[in-house]
Amino acid sequence: MLSSLSRARDETGEVLRVEQLPGGLVELTAHLPHLAATARAGEFAQLRCGPGPIPLLRRPFSVAWVDGESCSFVFERVGAGTRLLAAMRPGDMLGSLGPLGLGFTLQPSMRRVVCVAGGLGCAPFPLLAKQARTMGVGDVVILHGAATAARLYPSERFVRGVDGVRVVESTDDGTRGHHGLVVDLIAAALSDGADAVHACGPNPMLAATAATLRDLAAPRIVEASLEAPMGCGFGTCLGCALPVRRDGGTAWALCCREGPVMPMDTVDWDALRALPPAHVA
Amino acid sequence: MSNADLRVDLGRGCVLPNPVGVASGTFGYGFEFEQLIDIQRLGAIYTKGTTPLPREGNPPPRVAETAGGMLNSIGLQNPGVDHVATVYAASFAQWRVPVIVNVAAATVEEYVRCVRTLDAADGIAAYELNISCPNIAHGMDFGLDPAAAARLVQAVRGATPRCLVVKLSPNVTDIGAVARAVEDAGADAVSAVNTFVGMKVHLGLRRPVLPNRGTGGLSGPAVKPLALAAVARVRAAVRIPVVGVGGIASVEDALEFFVAGADAIQVGTANFADPSVSLRILDGLTAYAEAAGLQRLTDLRWQPAPLPA
Repeated sequence: MLSSLSRARDETGEVLRVEQLPGGLVELTAHLPHLAATARAGEFAQLRCGPGPIPLLRRPFSVAWVDGESCSFVFERVGAGTRLLAAMRPGDMLGSLGPLGLGFTLQPSMRRVVCVAGGLGCAPFPLLAKQARTMGVGDVVILHGAATAARLYPSERFVRGVDGVRVVESTDDGTRGHHGLVVDLIAAALSDGADAVHACGPNPMLAATAATLRDLAAPRIVEASLEAPMGCGFGTCLGCALPVRRDGGTAWALCCREGPVMPMDTVDWDALRALPPAHVA
Repeated sequence: MSNADLRVDLGRGCVLPNPVGVASGTFGYGFEFEQLIDIQRLGAIYTKGTTPLPREGNPPPRVAETAGGMLNSIGLQNPGVDHVATVYAASFAQWRVPVIVNVAAATVEEYVRCVRTLDAADGIAAYELNISCPNIAHGMDFGLDPAAAARLVQAVRGATPRCLVVKLSPNVTDIGAVARAVEDAGADAVSAVNTFVGMKVHLGLRRPVLPNRGTGGLSGPAVKPLALAAVARVRAAVRIPVVGVGGIASVEDALEFFVAGADAIQVGTANFADPSVSLRILDGLTAYAEAAGLQRLTDLRWQPAPLPA
C-alpha cells in the first residue's frame, strides 16, 4: 500500500513552546493548523530545521500530539538538524510538510490496543492514545522502556488527561518499573486480549517485538513504525529504502510512502539488522 | 505583462514553454509532485533515469547529507522502459508540461532499444541520455570518453526522430571535449552537469556511509560553483542549447546559470526540501526579465574576453 499525498501541505507556523524534558528529550510545539486538522497517529511531517543550506534537507518527525491548531514533536539532539530545532524559541517560524506516510491502523471496534514504545519511539503514541479513545477504542496500554528512568518519556505526557490510557514502564537498569526490556512486558499486556499491537523504537527492539509476538497468540493487526535516512519524505528521491519480504525474497520498500508504519510480518527483520547503522546528520 | 520570450527551443520541434525544468532523479515521473504543486506550469520534467529492465535499486543507506549538499546512491530504481512507454506515457500525453524521458543503459544497443520502445508512445517531448550515472556498475563509461560518447549519440540519433539532450558528467578532465563530441554526433542539446562523485565517511565505523564502493553522486548548493564553471566551459565548446543544472535553489542561482551560458535550467535537489521551489524560480525569472527589460534570459550571457595569444 502507498500513502496518499493529497492531504500533505507545506505550511509555516509560529513556534509556541520548546520544552526540555528530563534525559535530553525535547518537545517542540508549533501553530500548524493544517497538520493539526489532518494528521493521524503514526503519520509524520517533514520539518525544516533552519533557513538552509546547512542542513539542506528537512527531517521527518512523527506528530506526537495535536491540540486545537497546534502540533507537538518529540526528539533528541542527535545531529545538526535536531540541534537547530531544539534551539528554536517561541515566535520563530517552523516549516512543515505533512501529513506524510502511512499511520497506525485504528478501528472503533478495537477493545484494546497495546503500544510498545522503546526510547524515542514514544513519539507517535500520545496522539495514538487520544485518537484511539476518541473513536471508541476500549482502552490503550502503552508499554514504554528506556535505558534508565531519566530517559523515560513522562507517563503523564502519554496520557494528557485522556481516560482509558495506561502506561507500564521498564528500564534496562531497573531505576524505574520493570527491570529489563520493554519486550518483556508484552506477554502480560496481551494476556487479557488485545486487537492490535503497535510498536515504535530502535530496530533491535522492533525485531525483538516481532519475534516475541510470533511466539504468542498475537492479534491480527501488528504494526511497527520504522525509520530510514530520508531525502524528500514523499516518494521521489527513493532514498529511504527498507528491506521487506515480497514474493518469497527481499525487496525494497520506501519508508516514506509504504511506511513508516508497516505490518510487522512484511518487514525482513534479518536484512534490516544486517544493514549498517544510518549516519545521523 | 512581460515582453520577454521565455520559450526555449531545444531543437527538432521540442520547444519548452519556459526555461525552468526539474532534474532527473529529483522529480520521479511527476506523479508525486502532481499531488503537491501545479506541475503543468513547469518548462519540462526530466524523468527519473529509465533503464531497459526494471531495477530494484541499491541497498540502503542510499542517501547521506553533507555540508550544503547530499550524496545519493539510489542505483537507478525505476519500473523499466516498457512500463514507462505503455503506462506512464499515457499520463504524460494528457499533460501540458513537456516530459523529457531520461534514458540510462549499459550498451549502445540497449540505449537504442530504449528510445525505439519510447518512440512508440505519445506524450514524450524529448530524451535526455544519461551517459554518466555514477551509481551503477556500467553506464558511466560513455560519459568519460568523447569518442565513446559520440558513438553512443550517433547510434541513438539514427534510431529516433525525437530531440536528444545529452546529460554530461562533470567527472572528466575536459567536459568541453565531450560536449563538442556529442554535438558533432547529432545531439540537439546538452545538460550540464550530472552529480559529482563524492564520499562521506562514518568516522565511528571507520568506513564510508554509503555501501558498495562507498561513493555516491553529490548534488545541492555545494556543487553550484562547480556546475557554473562546467556550464561556462560547455558553452564555450558548443553552439547547441545548454541546460544548466547543479545546486540551483533560488531565482538568483538560476540567473547565474544564464550568465554562465545556459539556455534553460533544471532545479534538482532543492525540490526535496521545498517542493514548490521550481515554480517560485519560474515566477522570479519572469519578474526579473520584466524588471530588467530583457527580451530573453540569454541576454544575460557573459561573453568571455578572448584569451591573450
